[in-house]
Amino acid sequence: MSHSAVDLEAQVLAWIEGNRPADFAETVLRLHAFQYRNNSAYRLFCGQSGVGETPDLWRDVPCVPQSAFKHADLRSFSADDTVKTFRTSGTTGEGFGQHHFRTLEIYEAVVREGWRRANMPAGPFLVIAPHPDESPHSSLSHMLGTLAPRDNFIAAAGVIDIERLKSIDQPVCLLGTALGFLNLFERMETSHLTLTLPGGSTAMETGGYKGSGRNVSRGDLYDMFGDRLGISPDDIYNEYGMTELSSQFYARGPQGLHHGPPWARAVVADPVTLREVADGETGILLIYDAANVGSVVGIRTQDLAVKGGEAFQLLGRDPSALPRGCSRAADEWLR
Amino acid sequence: MNTSGRASAVAEAAEPFRALLGPTAPEDLLAWVRSELGNADALDRWVDHGKSKTKAVAPATILHVVSGNTPHAALQSLIGGLLLGSRNLVKLPRGGIIEVDEFLAGLPDAMRSTVETAEDLPSAWLAQAEAVIVYGSDETIAHFRGLVSPSQVFVGHGHRASLGIVWDDPAFASCDGAARDASLYDQQGCLSPQVFYVREIQPGFAREYAEKLASSMERFNRSHARGPLNVAEKAEIANLRAAYRFRAAGDLRVALWEGGANLDWTVVYEEDSWFPASPLNRVIFVKPLPEDFVNSIGPAAAHIGAVGLCPCTEDLADRFAALRPSRFCPIGSMQDPHWTWHNGGIPRLASLVKWVDFEP
Repeated sequence: MSHSAVDLEAQVLAWIEGNRPADFAETVLRLHAFQYRNNSAYRLFCGQSGVGETPDLWRDVPCVPQSAFKHADLRSFSADDTVKTFRTSGTTGEGFGQHHFRTLEIYEAVVREGWRRANMPAGPFLVIAPHPDESPHSSLSHMLGTLAPRDNFIAAAGVIDIERLKSIDQPVCLLGTALGFLNLFERMETSHLTLTLPGGSTAMETGGYKGSGRNVSRGDLYDMFGDRLGISPDDIYNEYGMTELSSQFYARGPQGLHHGPPWARAVVADPVTLREVADGETGILLIYDAANVGSVVGIRTQDLAVKGGEAFQLLGRDPSALPRGCSRAADEWLR
Repeated sequence: MNTSGRASAVAEAAEPFRALLGPTAPEDLLAWVRSELGNADALDRWVDHGKSKTKAVAPATILHVVSGNTPHAALQSLIGGLLLGSRNLVKLPRGGIIEVDEFLAGLPDAMRSTVETAEDLPSAWLAQAEAVIVYGSDETIAHFRGLVSPSQVFVGHGHRASLGIVWDDPAFASCDGAARDASLYDQQGCLSPQVFYVREIQPGFAREYAEKLASSMERFNRSHARGPLNVAEKAEIANLRAAYRFRAAGDLRVALWEGGANLDWTVVYEEDSWFPASPLNRVIFVKPLPEDFVNSIGPAAAHIGAVGLCPCTEDLADRFAALRPSRFCPIGSMQDPHWTWHNGGIPRLASLVKWVDFEP
């Protein structure tokens, strides 16, 4: 059965917004068939993976390597219909990945509904990250801009408005990157500044420290939230998302597992066989995201995770960004 | 014990590691001392020095901070210290290095008692050392450099990666050697090549070289199996393969050869000249040699350890001198440095000693 982009978008949007239930497996297979027909790079990849237009099972849909977004146009619609392109930050020498959208309606519905269904904190939100106008190609900025009004972005041009933080007199939810919060805490330490935000305040942090030369464990970062802002670790959430996905996964507290919305599933798989590992075992993280209507539905991430039922504990990427020689063990020791 | 006696004792203990260290007869070690200090007896007696005489004075105590990726660096650094007659404090990586333990067990008691090892750096060691040798990244070296005093000799062996250059090999004669270089020690050492740049002596030659290299990798793997991989290492290789498989499906400038069902070896052919990040463990890239080589391969150009050449000629070494490696050698011998190798461009014995002159 053939589906147009408009039909599929409408079906997925109705599911996300709770207006019409849908079956995950069926939707993934429909999306795959649509993308197979309309995306030549994806079709080539499927062919190489031995998968045709109509596999039997959703788990047979091949996951495109995350890095493929750097090298191929993974767009399942005409380029002329593109309304938005998000870009990865890019690593030296490899360029950046691009995720194209025919509509942002689904993306924004995913942000709002995903947040709500994950029982994430209510606002008001204060955002320590660039506004979408400042960073128009950042999917994270767009996500945060979907949640919070412009006036609540308090880090214009990278300078955090500490006075805004000081003046908070009601519970808030701080949103930002881990690196942004780390910079905030270091600035507060330099200024000998400690705040205790109103009781009930929460925070959501996301992203790693790639390219910054920094590395702080989630536990240590959450301790800093407590020390500098008076937010308890259990009131801090981590978001796992990426430019190549539309959906987000959330974990609560330093040891929390990441859970996704009904339209996205994480599979922790053996890196060689790609079979799902048993609970408690480590593997690579594959994400099937039914909100990725216009790109590809299955993504093979570069992250490691431990399977925990339908959820996962994120281990992250093994450090491998630079050419290596004799230095690894000494560096590990130094850390 | 004089230098000759120390060389004999070290040679005996090093004999089981001949495959790792190369020729280790007493005369090989004494030749190393002679090449760096001018005279094999320079540590034991006054030797002629122009109109006067001179004697080399070794540091009383040397601290070695070594990496665990391969035992090479640890053994070579320690053997240097033992030849000099110094007391040696060796900071090993977590888990230790079995070869170091075995080597120490082969030393006579009097010499073994001059060596102490620890996996956690004792706080007193740094201050006790007259010379400090550190293997690690720029960050690690800067850390230790900041801790030593001006009176201490400091030698840092920083982050290095190696490559091979196939200039003229129409019969693919270097492929077996290239496979050996890329496979031994599973690329954990700084002498392990991660990329072979191949001059296109005819269109498509570099790609053909990659294909032949893949066959050689497979042959080498049959007799020398790769070491075990943890799940993160498996994931890195599997992800790299998946990424290049995707690219190869739609881009004729990319090709991939995958060895074995167990991620045994991987050869990637790619037409761009960038020196890529290899996940190691027998993942080797082959690329056409670009015109403006040094400026084409990216930031790795500043961190090149060894360059394997085919053919290995002085002219070719001069042609690629701007890479500033510490070693040019034939492809196939990249893992077998001579004792006299200036690791990091530094004379390993001469950089540690001081000289006292006697003017009669």
